[in-house]
Amino acid sequence: MTTVDVATPDDTTSGAGSTTSRKRSGLDRMSVEWVKLELMRVAYATRGGFLARRDPRAVLGWYVLCALAPWFTYSTPILVALFVLALGCALAARIGPLLLGLFTLGLVGQAAYVLVLVLVLGGDTTALDGLLQISLKLGAVSLASMAAFVSLDPEKLSDGLQAMRAPAVLGFAISYGYRMVPLLIDEFHDIVDGHRLRGAPHRGHGFLGWRTIARIGRIAVQAFYPLFLNTAQRTRTTVEAMETRGFTSAGPSAAGRRLRLAHLRWTVGDTLLVVATAATIAAVYTFLPTS
Amino acid sequence: MPGRDGAPAVEVRDLTFRYPGASQDSLHGVDLTIEAGDFVAVVGGNGSGKTTLCKTFNGLVPHFWDGDISGRVKVAGRSTARRTVGDIAHDVGYVFQDFGNQLVRPTVRDDVAFGPLNFGLEDWEARTDAALRALEIDDVAGTHTWQLSGGQQHLTALAGALALAPSILVVDEPAAEVDPRRAAQVYEHLTRLNSQGVTVIVIEHHAELIARYARSVVLMDAGRVRWHLPVDEALARTADLADAHIPAPQVVALAQGLVPDVAAGRRRPPLTVEACAALLREAGRSEQPGAALLRTPDHPGDDGSPTPDGPRGRAARSDVVARLDDVRYGYRTISGGKHTVLDGFDLTLRADERIALVGSNGAGKSTLLSLLSGLAVPETGTVEVDGRDTRSVSAAELSSHVCYLLQRPEEMFLTDSVRSDVAMHPVGRQVPDAEALVDQVLDRTRLAHLADRDGRLLSGGQQRRATLAVGLAMRPRLLLLDEPTSSLDLRSRDDVIEMLAALAEHIRCTVVATHDMHLVAEWADRVVVLDQGRVVADTDPATLFDSPDVLRRARLVPPQVTQVGHALDMNPLPLSVDEMSRRLAPLPTEELV
Repeated sequence: MTTVDVATPDDTTSGAGSTTSRKRSGLDRMSVEWVKLELMRVAYATRGGFLARRDPRAVLGWYVLCALAPWFTYSTPILVALFVLALGCALAARIGPLLLGLFTLGLVGQAAYVLVLVLVLGGDTTALDGLLQISLKLGAVSLASMAAFVSLDPEKLSDGLQAMRAPAVLGFAISYGYRMVPLLIDEFHDIVDGHRLRGAPHRGHGFLGWRTIARIGRIAVQAFYPLFLNTAQRTRTTVEAMETRGFTSAGPSAAGRRLRLAHLRWTVGDTLLVVATAATIAAVYTFLPTS
Repeated sequence: MPGRDGAPAVEVRDLTFRYPGASQDSLHGVDLTIEAGDFVAVVGGNGSGKTTLCKTFNGLVPHFWDGDISGRVKVAGRSTARRTVGDIAHDVGYVFQDFGNQLVRPTVRDDVAFGPLNFGLEDWEARTDAALRALEIDDVAGTHTWQLSGGQQHLTALAGALALAPSILVVDEPAAEVDPRRAAQVYEHLTRLNSQGVTVIVIEHHAELIARYARSVVLMDAGRVRWHLPVDEALARTADLADAHIPAPQVVALAQGLVPDVAAGRRRPPLTVEACAALLREAGRSEQPGAALLRTPDHPGDDGSPTPDGPRGRAARSDVVARLDDVRYGYRTISGGKHTVLDGFDLTLRADERIALVGSNGAGKSTLLSLLSGLAVPETGTVEVDGRDTRSVSAAELSSHVCYLLQRPEEMFLTDSVRSDVAMHPVGRQVPDAEALVDQVLDRTRLAHLADRDGRLLSGGQQRRATLAVGLAMRPRLLLLDEPTSSLDLRSRDDVIEMLAALAEHIRCTVVATHDMHLVAEWADRVVVLDQGRVVADTDPATLFDSPDVLRRARLVPPQVTQVGHALDMNPLPLSVDEMSRRLAPLPTEELV
């Protein structure tokens, strides 16, 4: 849960107020709100972008191509090309600053610690090449995933999966999961606030901030108890309501599936997207050195 | 529609049901007939079996909850025993009490279409549009459900049920979580559907809503139907209703107190404000000269000064607990824009005030509370609590001075027992004698016997008391409560109001954000009315209820007793049934004549 880390810096900047005279600017809270909004924007594809306009099946097809492509080579130039293409697509799909920032942080952080590990354990420079390769592969796949899922709102995603004969329950679970995200984020925020206000007060950061880290960790773990129980209570009604609304464990009827998917239209643009992607990947593999 | 020709909408014969693992029957020997086209209110105390009964109508009992069942339930002429829940859903629409959890799809239109699509109905789009239009929510059709207000969510859940065009509609507590105007709106929609031939069954605590909208009343008691009567007869049985924790509507209580014919049962009690006012006029009840002096002393205005300082505040005018000065606050919206909630906002809270913060949803009440609690700090301007600028201290430090109790009690329960939740703040702050303090607080809130249970498993009223206990143990100077009485039955609500009043001596100043005008009338001595981030009135309850413009603008509905007082030209307006009865009662000398 990414919010664990971001929901509490709030605390670390303001909690030490007893010893400092620093003024709170309100930015601490604003940043939590910003993360919340950013997640919503990502989940509900409100930014648009070139993939958001396409049929969900085409987007899923595009994603499968992009996600598989990097795994068939050990050639650094091909991987660089695929990574750059994926990055371009991610930007064109408007994945937004939060995901991009987290992605960069993750990629750089991981590369750094593996590098340290390699050097400490006595590896040589050939290890660096392998390291670069795996980072590029993972990076390209992550970027393609982000581009695809930022562009699919929950409805399109579940419709797309259903159109491709995935079980109805899977499609439903995805759209229901999306529906719960804002509620859970809000509730988590309230619970963390509750811990800050009612729990033991902050007693400075400690050596290398260990106190702060320990405190954030403890609150994050403790917050899950109420979060889970509250969610369990909510879902009792949800399960009953779904029964009354015709969604049984077997999913909606075949006629229902047909009606729900009737609005999907595969257009020339969709074919073009998949063909162009396949062609580009083929071209990369053909024209760049394979080793 | 199948089986509508002449058959009763619902026919229950000798029904007994016990939930799996329960030690006693939830329903016992229930016989009930609900005619097609009726508008029925099902009433009863907590645990009387109301909800279980209603769940037998749509087959959730026994198909979803398969306990021990005997007897027979026929809906629209057909037995529910051999039909599936999904099949019965075409006859019976059901809206749950926690309707927010009934919405399972991201947008309003999609959620309403969910049922018709699942059943594979070819005309699902037409049905969806018709349901959206019927409830006048077509303008929010594309909105995500989590962005809706409570009232809109309720209408969406209702539309989802309506989209299957059921002939029977069951709505569990439609008025529980919305402001009074919106509750009336939901009932207006239900009334219109009812006039189009839909049988409406509601579970309801509010006798005033029952009086205004229902045609018959079913009283449940310990799993049995005690009686099923036309609404005017039902509401005259005030003793039975009081047993079930349904206080009579204020108009009925007034008439019984002031008109001997009604008290003796020779005459039906009035069900509306107009009827009550007419009856009182006819009975020659008007205010005796000087009777206004009999007003309860704990309300302002008795000294003729509707001053925002409050009656006791004037003695210690400088004793300011919190002050907002030229405050601006806003938040970013999902579309990237910015929504300013408060701008140029000033407010001063003084010691010994009981302040009610009222206004429609989105008026800025919750924002104001979070600014006062220090959880949020203003963009410009200053918020001072207890003489300290909230910018210079952390919210955690401020929590020893201000306590903010959230609207949803379960979010206040952070641990697995009431006792440890109450102890969390004093123990964390190493307050001396924390254990003794916790025991004392639990005693005072009558929770000692429940102290080891998880707060989530308590009843609604107990949950509110538990959150109050959490607040008390923090020993704040300023106590902030968000909707402390929402979704409580009336008895638990009175309980909370009583407790708030009793706690006044331990807290310097209490602010309650609320839609509940009874709470305002019976508890507050200062009302701050917000509308679109501005204070449109800052006065005492009686003056507020006498200001039609403000009431309309902030979507407030005064309590019935105040409305009757208004119709009888009483000045100042009465705030409680007791007060009005005293003021209109025949003077003792008359009785001697």
